[in-house]
Amino acid sequence: MSVQDPRFDLYRRAAAPALGPLWRRVVHSIWSIEHAFERARADARPEEDTRVRISLVFLLFCTVFALLAAGATWAALFRGEVPRFSGGAAVLARGDLTDRNGLLLAANLPHYAAYIDPAEVWDREHAAQEIRGALPRIPAAQLAEALYGDRRQIVATGLTPTERRQLHALGLGGLSFEAQDRRVYPLGASAAHLIGFADTGGRGVAGAELAFDDAVRAAGASGGSVPLSIDLRVQGVVEAELRQAVEDSHAEAGVAMVVDAKTGEVLGMASYPTFDPAHRDRASAGATLNRAVSAHYEMGSVFKSFVVAAGLETGAADVNTPFDASDPLMVGRRRITDHHAQNRIMTLEEVFLHSSNIGTSRLAIDMGPEVMRDFYDRFGLLRAAPIELKESAAPVPPRNWSNDTLASLSFGYAIMITPAQMVAATAALVNGGIYRPLSLRRGGAGVEGRRIISERTSATMRDLMRANVLRGSGTHADAPGLRVGGKTGSTNKFVNGRYDPAHGIGVFVGAFPADGPADARRYVVFVLIDEPRSLQRTGGIVAAPAVGRIADRIAPFVQVERRFDPASRAVAEVRP
Amino acid sequence: MSAVVSALGSGLKRVFDLKLRGIRIVEIIGVVLVAVLVLSVYVAKAAAARQSASIAALEREIAENDARVRLLRAEAARLESPARLEALSRQAGLVPADANQVVPEARLPELAEPARVVVLPEGEVTR
Repeated sequence: MSVQDPRFDLYRRAAAPALGPLWRRVVHSIWSIEHAFERARADARPEEDTRVRISLVFLLFCTVFALLAAGATWAALFRGEVPRFSGGAAVLARGDLTDRNGLLLAANLPHYAAYIDPAEVWDREHAAQEIRGALPRIPAAQLAEALYGDRRQIVATGLTPTERRQLHALGLGGLSFEAQDRRVYPLGASAAHLIGFADTGGRGVAGAELAFDDAVRAAGASGGSVPLSIDLRVQGVVEAELRQAVEDSHAEAGVAMVVDAKTGEVLGMASYPTFDPAHRDRASAGATLNRAVSAHYEMGSVFKSFVVAAGLETGAADVNTPFDASDPLMVGRRRITDHHAQNRIMTLEEVFLHSSNIGTSRLAIDMGPEVMRDFYDRFGLLRAAPIELKESAAPVPPRNWSNDTLASLSFGYAIMITPAQMVAATAALVNGGIYRPLSLRRGGAGVEGRRIISERTSATMRDLMRANVLRGSGTHADAPGLRVGGKTGSTNKFVNGRYDPAHGIGVFVGAFPADGPADARRYVVFVLIDEPRSLQRTGGIVAAPAVGRIADRIAPFVQVERRFDPASRAVAEVRP
Repeated sequence: MSAVVSALGSGLKRVFDLKLRGIRIVEIIGVVLVAVLVLSVYVAKAAAARQSASIAALEREIAENDARVRLLRAEAARLESPARLEALSRQAGLVPADANQVVPEARLPELAEPARVVVLPEGEVTR
């Protein structure tokens, strides 16, 4: 080809550009692509060029679609929202509270709120009649306000599913329901104090509901439950026997507790009078008070156990040390006497068994204020009982530690403590000497505990307590084959500036079985009768029998085997 | 080599050129395949929607049953409350078992032992 169309010179020049700035190269490439077809035709290979272009475009589309297909497959197989199904376990504001065996104490149950939209009600008078007929507890005024109002209003809350069904069955227009959770306490007045209650907003207000508020709410979110240390069977026995003891002695109030001495777990805790948590507003005065942790009492001679333990532990005395109780003891101008005066010299064991005020006062004064304060502190008598319940009240400690006060302290006056403090201290006294916090949590508080007396002192105290039940003031607390040990206490209350015999307290704190090694399973049983009005009002008469009955009835539940003393074995023989 | 490639190419071309009533068979197959794919996607989607609906219904049923179970558990707890059971038992004349009525497992053979029961001819049983 010698002849050339001069028009193509332009393209040729463009096809061999000099190196220049970037924009020039870009323009050149676009130009080159745009005019490639003409160039090819000029070079006499138009067909080939068309094919190449078609192939290129085809390839491009294939690549894009292949990528799209791969992406779609990937998305379909491995990505995207896989529908998730909950498989049950509704989310609740509060989880269940159960006893140690999983029996229900408190639960959130579905309830409903009823609403009325007056715009959709045809015959308002008829609707009012029907609704009141089906559910008389809806106040007429509130119903009328909702029916004749100008917007949708709530008319009733806390409807049970049955009540909702009844209202729904009326087939009224404008009546609708919304689900709402409500805290329900199926046991009614049973264990009401220790379970406590929660407000309508789902927050714990009292008792375990308050103490374990966070755990209960967390359990609600995960559909779980919070097990308490309570054994409902033991709780039932404790409540029944406390009520019986209070009624028998025509008393004002009472407290009973059962605690595992080894772990500090509370198996039963009752305070009388009690109340129905569903109708707290109707509770009698003082009925909502959990006396087991919130009420203070001067508990009397039950304190002698701690004084005797301190004497044994410090070496100030042993069980055979003689104490002169032949005459009343004069401390300053105060004259200390014994209720059941023996008027003789007694050993420490006899002092304990005869509950001699003179003997323990002498021992307390001998030991002095430092030792007494140290031991009362070790037994937790000067601080609020360590337990999860927020209601646990601080004690009223003695004002001074003079000889006069030491004498009073030795037989349980001049210091006011809560029943929970007494139980925690007695548990340490009988469990080998380890003081552990009480706990409403199944398995205990999970705290090591601290040694406050030696195993030997603890064993001696168990022997003394057992002897006291066999031949001392606590004979009524014995239960067949359970080797109950314990100490009685009887005091007069300080009323109108004086200790009034008309207002007394009878206490018995016991432990069973009192024999066996230090770390054996052992249970502390406590009963306090507040202001008994029976003929005899001492702890040995009003409280001790209840302790015996409680031990007798709960023994199968806590698996304490009965073992009869050889002398009483004949009674237990199974007759053919 | 080139002969093989050209033979293969011409073979493919023949296949592509096969026609049924003026329409390439390859295209007919393609259309049918697309139709089948569309239909199967529709069927799969519809089945998935059906499954979802039935799962949702089951979920609802589970929630309702769960609520019912909770109600019944609460009712059972109320009925089995120790205070109520004790009151009913006392009404029925029942009292707590006496310690002498209970023996440990180890003493069972003692109880089972000499069953000195005599049945008289009249059917009367004496010990």
